[in-house]
Amino acid sequence: MKLRTKQYQNRIELLQGTLDMLILQTLQWGPRHGYGIVQALRTESSEVLQVETGSLYPALHRLERQGWIRAEWKQTESNQRGRFYRITASGKKQLASDHNRWERMVAAIGSVMRARPEEGEA
Amino acid sequence: MKHIWPFAFGRRRNELQEEIESHLRMAAADRVASGESEQVARREALREFGNVPLVQDITRYSWGWAWLEQLVQDFRFAVRQMRRYPTFAVTVIGTLGLGIAATAAMFTVVEHVMLNPVSYKNPDRIIAITERANGQDSGRSLVPWLDIRQWKSRDHSFQSVAFWGRMSGRNYLEENTSAVQVDGIRVSSNLFPTLGVNPSIGRGFLPLPPSFAADENSGTIVLSYPVWQAEFSGERNVLGRSVTIDNTSYTVIGVMPRGFAFPRGDAEAAQVWIPVQLGKEDQTRTLVAMKYEAIARLRKGQTMASARTEMQAIQTAIAPEYTNLRTRSEHSSVALERYSDTIASPNLRRALLALLGASAVLWLIASFNATNLFLARSAMRQRELALRGALGASRARVARQMIVESIAFSGAAAGIGVAAAMVSLRLLAHSLQTRLPIPIPAKPDTLIILVLIALTLLSALGCGAWPILQVMRTPIEPVLKQGGFQVGTGRGQHRARSLLVALEMAFSLTLLVACGLLMRTIYSLRHVPLGFQIDHVIVANLNIPSFRFADRNMTQVLYEPLVDRVRQLHGVEAAGLMSEVPLGKTFATEITLRMNGTSTPAYLKAVSPGMQDVFGFKMAAGRFFDTQDTANSQSAVVVNEAFARLFSPDTHNPEAIVGRKLFSSSRDSKSSDSTVVIGVMKDERQQEVAEPARPEIDICIPQITPSSMFYQSAEGIAMDLAVRTDQPAAEMIPELRDALRQSSPELANATITKMDQIVQDSYGDQRFTAHLLEIFGGSALFLSIAGLYGLLSYIVAQRRREIGVRIALGAARRDLLWLILSQAGRMLVVGLSVGLGLAFLSSRLVRSYLYGVTVHDTWTFAGSAVLLFVAGMLAAYVPALRATRVDPMESLRAE
Repeated sequence: MKLRTKQYQNRIELLQGTLDMLILQTLQWGPRHGYGIVQALRTESSEVLQVETGSLYPALHRLERQGWIRAEWKQTESNQRGRFYRITASGKKQLASDHNRWERMVAAIGSVMRARPEEGEA
Repeated sequence: MKHIWPFAFGRRRNELQEEIESHLRMAAADRVASGESEQVARREALREFGNVPLVQDITRYSWGWAWLEQLVQDFRFAVRQMRRYPTFAVTVIGTLGLGIAATAAMFTVVEHVMLNPVSYKNPDRIIAITERANGQDSGRSLVPWLDIRQWKSRDHSFQSVAFWGRMSGRNYLEENTSAVQVDGIRVSSNLFPTLGVNPSIGRGFLPLPPSFAADENSGTIVLSYPVWQAEFSGERNVLGRSVTIDNTSYTVIGVMPRGFAFPRGDAEAAQVWIPVQLGKEDQTRTLVAMKYEAIARLRKGQTMASARTEMQAIQTAIAPEYTNLRTRSEHSSVALERYSDTIASPNLRRALLALLGASAVLWLIASFNATNLFLARSAMRQRELALRGALGASRARVARQMIVESIAFSGAAAGIGVAAAMVSLRLLAHSLQTRLPIPIPAKPDTLIILVLIALTLLSALGCGAWPILQVMRTPIEPVLKQGGFQVGTGRGQHRARSLLVALEMAFSLTLLVACGLLMRTIYSLRHVPLGFQIDHVIVANLNIPSFRFADRNMTQVLYEPLVDRVRQLHGVEAAGLMSEVPLGKTFATEITLRMNGTSTPAYLKAVSPGMQDVFGFKMAAGRFFDTQDTANSQSAVVVNEAFARLFSPDTHNPEAIVGRKLFSSSRDSKSSDSTVVIGVMKDERQQEVAEPARPEIDICIPQITPSSMFYQSAEGIAMDLAVRTDQPAAEMIPELRDALRQSSPELANATITKMDQIVQDSYGDQRFTAHLLEIFGGSALFLSIAGLYGLLSYIVAQRRREIGVRIALGAARRDLLWLILSQAGRMLVVGLSVGLGLAFLSSRLVRSYLYGVTVHDTWTFAGSAVLLFVAGMLAAYVPALRATRVDPMESLRAE
């Protein structure tokens, strides 16, 4: 019990709306299945980001419906059947715009957080 | 959209499952690779993944049609429920189906006869115009051309005014060698544009004004679809071909579209249309004037009321042109009616509406019954529902499921109901055809489907809503705590269900009373003395192809040889001809006689002497025609008592008319030959069994020659051949057909019926209504009794423990019997009292069909109530008996 709590504290819950962008980003590097995406996100974030499967799969299916990714059944390296997702052209466009928005947001939040209160206000 | 339809559910769901499975396998494989044992790896992977079904569910929601899936689930659940309780399902679906079938069938009839009888463009703007006496609602007169011309030049209400009449006699259309009987209609050239229908082949008539001289429309003809099919086998290359009707030849210039008919809505009728050619009978308003039916299309923006006012004013202005005072008064006013309203008589409309009402009542009873069944079941299911609530099903979800369920039930009922309705319409086709002005197709159309959907939803709502409310209101906890089936149905519910049963009884009683009144009417009709014998008589109704006998004496070349030939047939005891047999309703000729200062219309019939032996007509005075009456002897007529009463020189002695001269026997005005009355026949029923005899004059067929006064109308149009035989009809009819074919090939198609069938058919309207009411009333009786039985059985089953305790405490079985029966009795008494009131109010709806019985006939009312009460008590007796047989030990042990 204790272990799990600690583990949990080391991880950061994903911000609302960033999951789609992250999935698209991992798929930029090549087609992956659901488990692969979880692993990729974990390693790339140095074990910080943990995607709940309960969010991942709905997100994948949602993105597929949007036409941003496409799925097909393929053999994995370990010779198992897996459902691989591949990013589409419109997905790339979406990723670019998401990324752009994300950066502006980070910049904006950053500038807010760095700002010092005006002197004499207190 | 790749996945639109629910049948993709299964595949997608499997795919998702497989995807998750592969996720788990890979995760486990990774863990094994890092040294965990396979079991631990699998378990840990699962744990890490989380709640698999939940992930599946959430993912499926993201597909966006979860609600649809749930709906499908609910439907599947409903179907499973139906399978699990087949008796319940069959009872509910059968009950509702019966109600829906009756209503759907009646509505189909009403729709075709009253709502949508014609297939013209904007039919509610097409107006039939007739003339009538000022301030009188009955007695319409047709219109002479001079009046129509005045209307056309003065009115502002109508886009166009068209007119039409029939060609005289029976019309046979010949093309090369074949001949078919057709309805020949003379129409003004603007008739089709007025109706808003164009020919499907050809141009139709040119829009020329009616003229007295021949014009480009003269000698042209437009065929109806059935005639085109029959004569030209649907060949498109028909324009310009020539056909002959009554020895006049016409050039085909058009074919009307399939389904078009004018006049009236019978799309199967073999009609042809030729242009009206005005003649000298159109230049006068006297008695010899040609009269037409007028039909007009209302201009846009004009209403019936404004048109009526305007036409009234016009007619008042032109009425003085009638020189004869009596004719002037008959034409002093106009009557405007929607053409589609003229197709069903007011009597028929009333009857149809009454029957539609009756079927709706049956549907109500059925719905009440279904509601009762649902209520009973929801009480049984209370525990199940409470359990589901405890497991987290929201009440909305449970309620939705029940709604879906009741919709599934009523949907199934609607399917069965509409099928049953169409089958019964097909089965009833014969009696419908003789009773209704147009045929009823046994297939549902858009409007009927819409009504059905409405009925279905109403049924579902009706029988679903109450149980659902009950469920929504019931708290979960106490139900779970108490357990068992017998909880949670309070007195309120009993009272509600008893009320429903009582109402069912009330409605059933109204139907039974109406049915009883009609049955008494039929009984009275059957016991009316007809004035002739109907057993062992076969009648062939002939349409005379007079074109074959032009310029020949039909008496000699057609009728006498035909009768002789038929008399020779084996088993024929007597044979004769009559232009219309009594109650035949095929072709009636009326003449108006002025004698002794009175003038009255009288039926004119041509009869051969053999007819007395066929029908056994009785004489009040004098003799019937016999072999002495020939073309060379004194022209003789036989009249009936009704005629003699009016025209006898001695009012106290009608028989004194024998020997009197009536009218000139020859068309030649110089001839002084006169007909003489040789006998007075006892009155017989002529058109309707319920109608007393009207004056009648019979002339003798052997005496009729082409120069006789009524040659054309008496012999040239229709004739009935009647045969008295001891042979069965099935053997006699083919022989008769052979004999007819030998006389003229067209006659082989004659309608041949047994006389008792003709009499049966003449009860038609009453019989038709009575039959339907018997079906409705019987079903209502059955349903309401079943409802009562069901409720009492349920109550007994529910009160089993209580009854057991009572028995254990010493209650006499008789008391228990009484307990249940009195409960039934209360329901019945309440139901029957309400029902008697309803019946008192509603029975006047069938008034116009009653004969020999009053609208509020005590015996019928009392009889129906007693019938219902006795049936109800019998139905209550079974569950009551069951209550007395409850084993007290069983109940006590259970406590």
